[in-house]
Amino acid sequence: MLLIHAVLLPLLSYGMLTVVRNVQEEVFIDHVRIYVRVFADILQAKGELPEEQEILASLDSSILGGRCVHAALSVGDTRYVSSIMGVADAARFDEDFEFGDHGDNVYYLSTPLQLGDELAVLEMGFDEMPTLQEIAGARETIIYITLAYLLVTIVLVVILSTVLSKPLRRLRHDSRQIASGDYTRQMSTDSNIFEINELSHDLENMRSTLVGINARLAAEIVSREAAESERRKVETHLRHMHRLQSIGTLAGGVAHEFNNVLLPMLLYTDLALEDLPEDSPVRPHIERVMRLANRAKGLSEQILTFGRRSEDRLKSVADIAPIVDEAMSMVRALIPASIDIRTDIKRPAGPMSCDANEVQQLIVNLCSNAYRAVVKGGGRITVGVAPCSVKSELASQHPRLEEGKYIRLRVADTGEGMDAATVARIFDPFFTTREVGDGTGLGLSVVHGIVERHGGDIVVDSELGVGTTIDVYFPQTAEVDIQDAQGTISDE
Amino acid sequence: MSKVIIIDDEEDIRVVLKEVFVRAGFDVRVASDGDEGLTLLREEPADLVITDIIMPGKDGVQTAYDIRMEFPKTKIIVMSGGGNAAPQDYEPSAIATTAYLASATEIGADLTLTKPFDRHELIKAANELIAQQDAS
Repeated sequence: MLLIHAVLLPLLSYGMLTVVRNVQEEVFIDHVRIYVRVFADILQAKGELPEEQEILASLDSSILGGRCVHAALSVGDTRYVSSIMGVADAARFDEDFEFGDHGDNVYYLSTPLQLGDELAVLEMGFDEMPTLQEIAGARETIIYITLAYLLVTIVLVVILSTVLSKPLRRLRHDSRQIASGDYTRQMSTDSNIFEINELSHDLENMRSTLVGINARLAAEIVSREAAESERRKVETHLRHMHRLQSIGTLAGGVAHEFNNVLLPMLLYTDLALEDLPEDSPVRPHIERVMRLANRAKGLSEQILTFGRRSEDRLKSVADIAPIVDEAMSMVRALIPASIDIRTDIKRPAGPMSCDANEVQQLIVNLCSNAYRAVVKGGGRITVGVAPCSVKSELASQHPRLEEGKYIRLRVADTGEGMDAATVARIFDPFFTTREVGDGTGLGLSVVHGIVERHGGDIVVDSELGVGTTIDVYFPQTAEVDIQDAQGTISDE
Repeated sequence: MSKVIIIDDEEDIRVVLKEVFVRAGFDVRVASDGDEGLTLLREEPADLVITDIIMPGKDGVQTAYDIRMEFPKTKIIVMSGGGNAAPQDYEPSAIATTAYLASATEIGADLTLTKPFDRHELIKAANELIAQQDAS
């Protein structure tokens, strides 16, 4: 805008100056010509050549009024002059017929006259100065007005840029920030201009709508991810459950048939032993059959423990610590004294619903496995029990765990450890890493069944050459339930 | 002499249980299914009936129920092989025999036993039940 003004204003001023100058010049020249004509007419009016005195008086009177500064009449060789100018200047009149020419500020005009019989030439000079001053005054005025206009324009531009551009610049800055990801930036201006405020409000509405949509999308993504991970968790769990259930059903069916064979086997053998004389050479063989049949019976029981459903009622106990103590005395009796077994039992470890026999069997089985892991290379077994809180991180990895209070039973050994493939299969029935004949492979599947029935879960952490840590999580029961349960027990 | 009837579809089990009870001084008769057992019972009442639970024809639960209805004083022992009743059906829906045993107890069996059991245990249980019957 300033640029346009800078170009247009001088042009306009120049144009105005030219017009003023032309108008003034025309007025001046017209005035001068009329004056000369009128003066010439007065001189010619007599119809004859006036007296010398009369001519000089007329010429003098002509320069006394108006702007005429020089008047001369040439009649034949006679020349009458009346002038307030220097003679040298007056001599130039014949070559200066342009307004403002020659810098002498005098405009000359000459006209032929018929004075009686004589032919005369009238020369008159007029002062250009007042007109030139008027033109200069007009020019000054125009320049001042132009300058004032420019000044006002500059001030206006500055004010407008403050009032208009600043809020717009701020909006632009804010929108760039938003575009670069800072969605929290609120868009606002303190402009007095209604349109800018409206624009700002519209942009802010757009931003907050976008932020809202963004937040909803983010929440949607989070909830979808959560649902997806939950679905995967459940899927994994269901697959695992289904596998275990199928195996359990198969095992249960096998056990059923097996028991129908075992019962007569055991009873016939028992009867045979009753009939055999004490010194019969066959007796040791039959006794061996009896022992083997009993071992088969134990095996079948283990299969059934695995396959059994959770219809068993668990009893609530105030503290699991004494149950663990009892199990540990069994473990110490079973495992050679050369093995370093340590216990770390918090008292009270916490209340839970459990089948004490099953929990003890679980501890014995886990310790038996730990023993087999350390017996080769030496090492230590640590059994610990303590109350603990399961956090969301752990719960998300183990579908059967939820956030909350649990009792953690930990059996850790510094034995040979297991690889990931082995860890993945350790709870399968009949899976064993031992030599054939050195264990049934049912120990951990029994553990699994027991933990499942108690509503808990098992977390296995093992590294080859470092050792294995098995954490069993049992849900804690509320204190109120314990007291109720104890009341019921004491009533019985 | 206490009278016992043994009902089982497997001959090996019938024979060995008969031997066990005979040696313990019981008067023993055997049947291969529930209906046969009931027929024997109607011919001559018994103090105790030991019946298998999974049998073709009339199963152990139904047999125990019929006996309880017809002979309220007769003691009933229901025995099962444990595990799942239908080994050829490996679906998770296979009924656990514990559920059968539970329903047998529900309709009036005096004792349930899971095979295999010790013969002394069996005789002891049988004697205790008969003693209860005598007491009442």
